[in-house]
Amino acid sequence: MNSNSEEPIDEAGVSRRSLFLRTGAAAIGTAALAGVAGCGDTTPVSESGGGSGGKGLLGDPTAGGPVDSAGIPLARRDYPVTLPRFQDPVSASAKPETGGVLKIYNYADYVNPDVLKAFGKQEGVEVKVTTFDNLDEAFSKLSTAGQEYDIIFSTPDQLSKLVGRKLLQPLNPDLIGNLQKNIWDEIQNPFYDVDSRYSVPYTVYTTGVGWRNDKVTIDPANLENGWDVMWDTTSQRGKVQLLDDKREALGMAMLHEGQPNINTESQAFVNSALAGLDTMDSKMRPKVQISAYETLPAGRITLAQLWSGDLLSGAINYMPKGTPASVMSYWYQSEGGPVFNDIITIAAASTKPVIAHRFLNYMMQPDVAYENFVGYTGYQQPQKSLNAAKLFDDGILPKGLSKAVVTQDAYATGNGFLTLTGEGEQIWDKAWSKFRAG
Amino acid sequence: MTNRRIWGFFAAPGMGWLLVFFVVAFYAVVSVGFGNVNTLYQPIPYWNPLDWNFGYMIEAIQSVLPGGQTWPVVVRTAIYIGAAITLSLLIGYPVAYYASRHAGRWRGLVVVLLILPFWISYIMRMYAWTNLLAPDGYGSKLLSALSIDSLLSSVGLLDGTDWLGGQGITVILALVYGYVPFMILPLFASLDRIDQRVIEAARDLGAPPESAFRRVILPLSKPGILAGLVLVALPMAGDYYTQTLMSASPATSMIGNTINDYIQGGPEKPLGAAMTMLLSAVLLMFMLYYLRTLRREQGEVAA
Repeated sequence: MNSNSEEPIDEAGVSRRSLFLRTGAAAIGTAALAGVAGCGDTTPVSESGGGSGGKGLLGDPTAGGPVDSAGIPLARRDYPVTLPRFQDPVSASAKPETGGVLKIYNYADYVNPDVLKAFGKQEGVEVKVTTFDNLDEAFSKLSTAGQEYDIIFSTPDQLSKLVGRKLLQPLNPDLIGNLQKNIWDEIQNPFYDVDSRYSVPYTVYTTGVGWRNDKVTIDPANLENGWDVMWDTTSQRGKVQLLDDKREALGMAMLHEGQPNINTESQAFVNSALAGLDTMDSKMRPKVQISAYETLPAGRITLAQLWSGDLLSGAINYMPKGTPASVMSYWYQSEGGPVFNDIITIAAASTKPVIAHRFLNYMMQPDVAYENFVGYTGYQQPQKSLNAAKLFDDGILPKGLSKAVVTQDAYATGNGFLTLTGEGEQIWDKAWSKFRAG
Repeated sequence: MTNRRIWGFFAAPGMGWLLVFFVVAFYAVVSVGFGNVNTLYQPIPYWNPLDWNFGYMIEAIQSVLPGGQTWPVVVRTAIYIGAAITLSLLIGYPVAYYASRHAGRWRGLVVVLLILPFWISYIMRMYAWTNLLAPDGYGSKLLSALSIDSLLSSVGLLDGTDWLGGQGITVILALVYGYVPFMILPLFASLDRIDQRVIEAARDLGAPPESAFRRVILPLSKPGILAGLVLVALPMAGDYYTQTLMSASPATSMIGNTINDYIQGGPEKPLGAAMTMLLSAVLLMFMLYYLRTLRREQGEVAA
């Protein structure tokens, strides 16, 4: 196309802007190329890498079905995707690397430091965590040369893009036996990563509504449409959190309208959700944040859209002295609401692939998962042996918050924010920046 | 000659520093703004001006003009900054005037007190306010006891009584609080420089105090006023965390927040870079106006 190309994958010119901006013949060339890119057919990874898509409603991706911005078919529950491999996983007989630093890239406060310390001690390595605020930021850094990590925490909707960008290395199942042994059956062979080629599940969560029952008497469970509380509790105007996450925020507006497909790419549905958020903004004046795990216990926020794990994290770590955790309540849409999981992966650039595998396996140990959940993060891991409901009954976790438990059934039928096509992402992003402009 | 060479030698590291951390960094912003994104929506900077893609810049310009998506943010930012620098001047001038001309033996102490806020980081001071202004915080209780909140509420400047519930006025006051020392210090320096004899001369020639202030002191402190206004307006224009901490509501978002949103995530990073350039261009115009006025004033003094 022109002299700027660094790698072929970079030059597909997704920006529609370049269509009308490169002048003259170049513009025509760009338009033609971008037309192709519009179909997402940028890299034939699914063939060269030996990945495949199953049969499903979306059709066969090689025949022009929807793909993400890295050219990998969009995984859906009814359309599992096997991610392509670009290299062999590390051998099961390889010796663990010794010494040095195991570099972890994760959200802040999203793993118990004691658990990490114990792992470092056990393996004789130093464990160092670098944190990111959001996955976009993480992605930028990972794409930059010189940012080398061993372990990357992420979400399923980002996985195919990380794989397509060759930022991850495939896993050797023999080194992560705890996946089969300890993890819920539903996530052993997930639709977003058939055969768990690249990822193991980390935590499971629901997205719902948390509120201070000492300051506001509402119960979404009694309403026909529980999400109405986020629109109609005008007494709490200004003390409301809306998640600073375009998918979660707009997705909630969709669920509120009774539009169950939170992975839609329809401009009309997204516009309608945007209008819903605008209505909510004028009535409730929400703060667009992700800090309710701290502000809800402190009482600065009284009503919040938040992740179940954030609510429990608040109950475990952030209750002010003299305020019992029972002042908080939680609700989520049990049918069709967001219930999903996060993942752990190993970076392609990792210099300690064996230790990294051992870390993944370690995180799936029941005692480690328990310590991580109850002792720090508030995020439950999908462990077969964990009876989360019992933790509430026994008072290890605050009784009133038992709705923040993610059950296997809820997970199996839950909704999730999944990968969109490049065009779809732009539609959501445009709407979100419009909302943020106020 | 040797003298000049020695000073050139001393200046070199600083110039090198500025070159790397300002010029090169800004050129990176320019290259991203005139660049494109790859299939994964990561920005690809176009370093060579011949390759520049002006699409994002055109979109950014359309966005900030009337009718564009960011227009309301631009208007809001202008109102907030206008109000905040006016308040800063009204608050800062008397303080600087007192400190420079009437503090007497307390002068040194007053100056130290003015610098004191810089000992604590800006973010920490803002965090303090989020606690003070929380519904059950001491600050909001006091303001409520003095009926200030209901007063502001009745004239429509405050929506309800929750200071942190997405209120424009809270953001403005926080900006004033955060940046007012930058207003006072140049004012202090400028007022301090005014020759006492000039004021005495005005008095001797029969000017009443109010007239001496209006016709002698105020004009002579104009460079200080301008410097103060520029010094507070520039950082306010790029500020985003004050809004984030004090409100976090889209209803009060400023241009810094918009740029931050674009840069932080999503496929529109070049758009954020283009807006940064636009903002810099606007600020540069103010800066040039300031420099021109300053030169004119100095010319007058010299003549």
